Amino acid sequence: MVTIDLAKIPVREANERIRQYGAEGQDVEVINPDARHHIGVGLTAEINVKIRGSAGYFCAGLTDKVHFEVDNNVGWGLGDNIYNGSVVVGGNAGAIAGVAIRGAELVIRGNMGSRAGQVMKAGTLCCAGNANFMAGYMMYGGRIIILGDSGERVGEDMAGGEIYVGGEVHSLGSDAQIVDVDGAELDDIRAFLDRYELKFKGTFKKVVNAGKNLRYATSERQVRSIPFFTFSGETDYWNAKIQEDLYIKSQIGRYRIRGYGGARELPHLSDLAFKKDLSQSDHGPDPVSKVNMYTEIGGINGATPLKLSMPVMIAPMSYGALSRSTKQAIGMASSLSSIAENTGEGGMSDAQRDAAAQLIFQCLGGRLGWNIYDMKRANGLEIYISQGAKPGFGGQLMAKKVTKELAEIRGIPPGIDLRSPSRHPDILGADDLVIKVEEFREATSYKLPVSVKLGAGRVRDDMKIAVKDGFDFVELDGMQGSTGAGGAEVMEYVGIPTVAAIMEALDALEEIGVRDKMQIVLMGGIRDGIDAAKALCLGSDAVGYGTSTIIAGGCIACMQCHVGQCVTGIATQDPEHEKRYQPAIEAQNIHRFLESVRWQIATVTHALGYTDVKQLNRDDLVALTPEAAAITRLPYEPGYRDRHLELKAKVG
Amino acid sequence: MAVYDINRILVPDAPPEYEDHTAQTNYVPAPCQVACPVGTDAPSYLAYIWEGKFEQAFEAITSTNPFSSICGRVCDAPCEPACRRTDSDGPVQIRNLKRFIMEKVGHQYDPPPIPVSKKQTVGVVGAGPAGLTAAHDLCVAGYEVHVYEMTDRLGGLMIWGIPEFRCPPAVIQEDIDRLTNRCLGLKTHLNTALGDGVTLDQLKERHDAVLLTIGAWWGKRMQIPGESDDRVVDGVSFLRRINGGERPTLPATVVVIGGGDVAMDACRVAKRLPGCKHVKVIYRRGPDEIPARSIELAGAIKEGIEFIYNTQQVAVEPRGMELSLRCVKTELGEPDSDGRRRPVEVTGSEHEIVCGMVIAAVGQKSESDDLDQRGMMLPDRVRADFDGMRTDDPKVFAAGDGAFGGSTIVMAMHHGQRAAYYVKAFLEGRQNPMPYRTPYRTRHVPVAQDLEWEKLPLHEPEFFGLGEKPIDFPEIESTYSYETARREAARCYRCDAETGSADYSVQHREDIFSMARTNPMDHAKLQAMFQRRLRPRQNPFPEGRPAVLDDLTFLPANLSRLVIDPYREACQVSTDIAAKYELAQPFFVTGFDNAPAEVREAVAAGLKASNCGSVGVKAMGESVPWFQLVTPTGAVPSKDATALIFMGEAFESIEIERLFPDQLIGLAVSSLAALERVIPYALEQKFDMLLLDGTANLDGEWPELAGAPDLRILRDAIVILRRLKQEEAIDLVYFGGVRSGTDAAKLIALGAKAVVFGAAVGLAVGGEIVDGNTLRFVSDYSDLDRSQATVNIIKASSGEASMMARCTGKTKLQNLEPEDLRSITLATAQATGIPLAGRH
Repeated sequence: MVTIDLAKIPVREANERIRQYGAEGQDVEVINPDARHHIGVGLTAEINVKIRGSAGYFCAGLTDKVHFEVDNNVGWGLGDNIYNGSVVVGGNAGAIAGVAIRGAELVIRGNMGSRAGQVMKAGTLCCAGNANFMAGYMMYGGRIIILGDSGERVGEDMAGGEIYVGGEVHSLGSDAQIVDVDGAELDDIRAFLDRYELKFKGTFKKVVNAGKNLRYATSERQVRSIPFFTFSGETDYWNAKIQEDLYIKSQIGRYRIRGYGGARELPHLSDLAFKKDLSQSDHGPDPVSKVNMYTEIGGINGATPLKLSMPVMIAPMSYGALSRSTKQAIGMASSLSSIAENTGEGGMSDAQRDAAAQLIFQCLGGRLGWNIYDMKRANGLEIYISQGAKPGFGGQLMAKKVTKELAEIRGIPPGIDLRSPSRHPDILGADDLVIKVEEFREATSYKLPVSVKLGAGRVRDDMKIAVKDGFDFVELDGMQGSTGAGGAEVMEYVGIPTVAAIMEALDALEEIGVRDKMQIVLMGGIRDGIDAAKALCLGSDAVGYGTSTIIAGGCIACMQCHVGQCVTGIATQDPEHEKRYQPAIEAQNIHRFLESVRWQIATVTHALGYTDVKQLNRDDLVALTPEAAAITRLPYEPGYRDRHLELKAKVG
Repeated sequence: MAVYDINRILVPDAPPEYEDHTAQTNYVPAPCQVACPVGTDAPSYLAYIWEGKFEQAFEAITSTNPFSSICGRVCDAPCEPACRRTDSDGPVQIRNLKRFIMEKVGHQYDPPPIPVSKKQTVGVVGAGPAGLTAAHDLCVAGYEVHVYEMTDRLGGLMIWGIPEFRCPPAVIQEDIDRLTNRCLGLKTHLNTALGDGVTLDQLKERHDAVLLTIGAWWGKRMQIPGESDDRVVDGVSFLRRINGGERPTLPATVVVIGGGDVAMDACRVAKRLPGCKHVKVIYRRGPDEIPARSIELAGAIKEGIEFIYNTQQVAVEPRGMELSLRCVKTELGEPDSDGRRRPVEVTGSEHEIVCGMVIAAVGQKSESDDLDQRGMMLPDRVRADFDGMRTDDPKVFAAGDGAFGGSTIVMAMHHGQRAAYYVKAFLEGRQNPMPYRTPYRTRHVPVAQDLEWEKLPLHEPEFFGLGEKPIDFPEIESTYSYETARREAARCYRCDAETGSADYSVQHREDIFSMARTNPMDHAKLQAMFQRRLRPRQNPFPEGRPAVLDDLTFLPANLSRLVIDPYREACQVSTDIAAKYELAQPFFVTGFDNAPAEVREAVAAGLKASNCGSVGVKAMGESVPWFQLVTPTGAVPSKDATALIFMGEAFESIEIERLFPDQLIGLAVSSLAALERVIPYALEQKFDMLLLDGTANLDGEWPELAGAPDLRILRDAIVILRRLKQEEAIDLVYFGGVRSGTDAAKLIALGAKAVVFGAAVGLAVGGEIVDGNTLRFVSDYSDLDRSQATVNIIKASSGEASMMARCTGKTKLQNLEPEDLRSITLATAQATGIPLAGRH
């Protein structure tokens, strides 16, 4: 047994040592813990750790095969995401004990705080005292044993798993019910209690999901989308789209869901033009060799940056919304073009990891597929706060797509209409977020960049918080971003356009004088190298391509992603449909698209007289519409639009 | 694939005399259309089939194809490999669908005849698909066209080369008749061969221009010893003989040499003739290289024909009563000049195949002594320039197989169309006509709304093979039933059609597709795409666009505010008017005063179930809270009404009295100008609410249908109240153009306490817009359907509104405020006072 004195060394160093002792097979005693956060985070070697005192946030979080004993109390997020092993707490635990655990046994001899076991997938969380409100909130599996009282709204929105309450059930949560406990279950609980020497003589009430909200009662009629020009812009106020919406909503009694991005026109980078007329000059066959495009993202605070051959990344898209083959093809293309890929919500598959040379691992509120091993093999970690297509909403995956295999990787019951939580269990504000970011850094030895994905809303405020919370870069997603499924109205009417988002973000950084303390990857409706070059001129450090890469790989933009039977095998989990997608061929198509993007960015840069993409700046741009001018504060020069017409007239 | 060449990026202009839609913003020709040499608008005819509009489908098919009935049977259908669904679960069966339409209406069609309107005449030599297509186009342009044909029939190889079991003569005749009936200027001279019945000199003298479409009528020789044996015949001659009506008895074993379409037809014909038991096809390359269309190949195999690959004939020798075909095995060597890998003899592989007859289908050639003597022939075809379809003689043009080598019917038609274009230009004296480009049209047919379209599998027609009496040459395949045709048509992706996404419109999508199919070394294509992508879009918000609710968006909560989970967490939607009257949701419904009684009753039942009040001159029913509109000339205030809403400009003179203590009193305001008078008066009189009418026609018939409502009335009312420091003193209820919960949430954020739904509920309960200004209830909704629809639309709207509130971080709908909104157009920013996105 080795002793580590936290009065003498900081947690970061202590964790490094514990990791090392673990690898060497030595057990550890931590003295003077003084409720410090992140003690024992990120351990994956078998080890016994005794904490002589109290621990702070995320004690034993993001671990596997560890056995912790804490003499006194713990802060919130006990055992966050733990796989196997055990954590025994002698005193009380704060909120969200056992958050997102994927196995293991957590025992709290005192009371536990609210939302215990939130989004847990497996394992046992046992509290010998009373629970506070909403124990088992949105849990997907595993069991919670509460020997005392349940607290209010126990089992709120649980999708799976069981909660056994020995004391009083104060109130049941939404979609929860009490059912009978059978003998075998009781025997198993008794055996568990005996193992941890917990005395309990009473009986249990068992709380499970009532199954009322897991699936929509009436399914929405599938219709092929109405072309946007018949309802966007100068069209009838009571147009065909409105009538269709009213018809369908009058049948189902709820908001409509669909896939893809915004249907209607919004101010866009297309409404900007380069001041210099690029339409008449040819810049030779190989502009790429004349321009430096290499870009590093994520290294500003000392992490190993993503090394991009051009200021381009793949936007986060999940395995789930997309088929495994599609994620594989995109990963391959990202490697061929030496840029970074992103897992999106659904966890990381081996195929995806193997295909993508640089892969960002995204963490969402449901912690679906989130785990320490994939964190460690990622090239970047990303906390999803929201996305441009449906800010404020968690991921939405209709039951048709929640196959057995997919459910397994996400750690959820198969066949439910999955509506991921909108918030993280452990991020309720900027101050929690700092601690969460630190936990990730601790777990991965401060090597990986940690980014935040933000749907564009109150960007000015959000950016300032992102800076404060120490992120390495922001993936800023305007409302032109797409999604596999979301509320149709939210896609059209929540958020601000991409071109407005970048302006607000830059304003924010300017206002607090930290432009060099944050990198911005802009995404949402970026379709080619011209859009990218304009985004770079405005001040983005890089851009993200999502939908465009899907289209390059065969998507026909039918906007039926949510249905789950994608005709091209992209947005589907149906093996019969996925068969239609040839990853090797589509990877080449996506790669060629990205190379075409590269050529276009290089040509713009070279034509504007620069040798490096970092030289692109807003003085190179004008605005073609009053809206774009007002948003970007660029000079309004509608005359620049006519250059193309004039040219055509001259040639003709 | 040629579909994605530079012409798809930098689309060349079509000659102006053709109808071509490639310049339209919401259309890009689909890959199938581009792959079709005559530019058939396949997506449109497929969509018409799904809609059951056969005449329209027929028009789309035949408008660029005079041999549509034939093509429906035997076109090599280059559209199908180009079909994007090929890569998924197989191409849409475009050809079979054409066959379905032509079978259905092809014979009924009676086209309006086209008279001769020009003085000049054109002589066309050869009545095959190239010649007749050119003649057709020239006749359509008003010229008199004389077609000289050496046989006794029109049709060329379509008549003489296609066996009846693939295309019955009656089908061919259908196309020919349609063409000759239509083209009054078409004069035919049968049994008149060039050099025999008529010379080129004579033609040049008689006509202002001459087009040579003499075909590739003669089989090439194999150039091997022994082929002069009369048991060795060439494929085209063999087919010609059979199509002429002969049914000879063949030896038991027949060998066909070659892997092209003629070889396929010849082997299948042989198989059907008496005496023939075995047919073997030998081909010098492998099964992956064989040029025959896969469907023909598959048909031949199904009919029991044996294919021997990688085998090359070297000699024919008599062997008693039979023939010995000496062959060697081959393997594939280096690519040839045409890019195909050359078959190379395997040493020591010589062997023989014993048979009774050899049919050599190893290529075709043209012959004309007349042209040869003038030096106009390359040895086996007319020397001509594809760019202008000209021969060395300025007055003489050439097209089709006879000029450019053996090809397909549809390619021959393309040649005919090209040639007709250049002949017309010549006749009109245009020296350097714009290069011909196949025109692409669209008929903008809506996308088939088939719910199964993603799943429907490719449906092959029924294959009959040899049939019961092979010698009768019965047809090998069935025509689709309508049910099958409709399902097959529904499979179409509609690559031509506009998408539902503005940022990924059909133009953007196709550009991305092209980028993904551009070799990174192909500078010309990259450059073309660069120029194309530089072009700015049209301003989507041109001057004069009204301020509309669509152009407001909500600012979501993210880091700076806590988001309220819209899937799970509660958001209070209930509210009240003047703290006296509870609303389960901040909605009212209006507009049903004059609706049919059964509609009124059904909606009333829905309102009752939803605990939702109505606004109207009449009460909806006892159990529905009634906000009575009291007009100057209408009914007197009712004590049954929950609220009395007085209308009219002369409100100051109306005697306003509550008929019971808690009755609400309000004023309806329909004009901006009146606000300055109304608001102080209403405040002074302690009114409970103002009904702000954005339509300016509140008591009219479905006034919202007139267009977007005026949002300024709400803005101005709030400005005035704020100026008077009485913002909370009176509740504002807004009416006008509320279509969804989102619209409602925006109006609430702008300052309304509640909104009134009118036309939206009318449409939800089955109303249909008539003449753009009123609703008629003609649908087959039952009363229950209507009341359920009312409940559902209120529920959905309430859910939507609260979803918006939760996105912005609100747990009460009423807590939405202007600060939660941004405008995306300047007009809307101005009319609502909400700043533009990105501004603050």
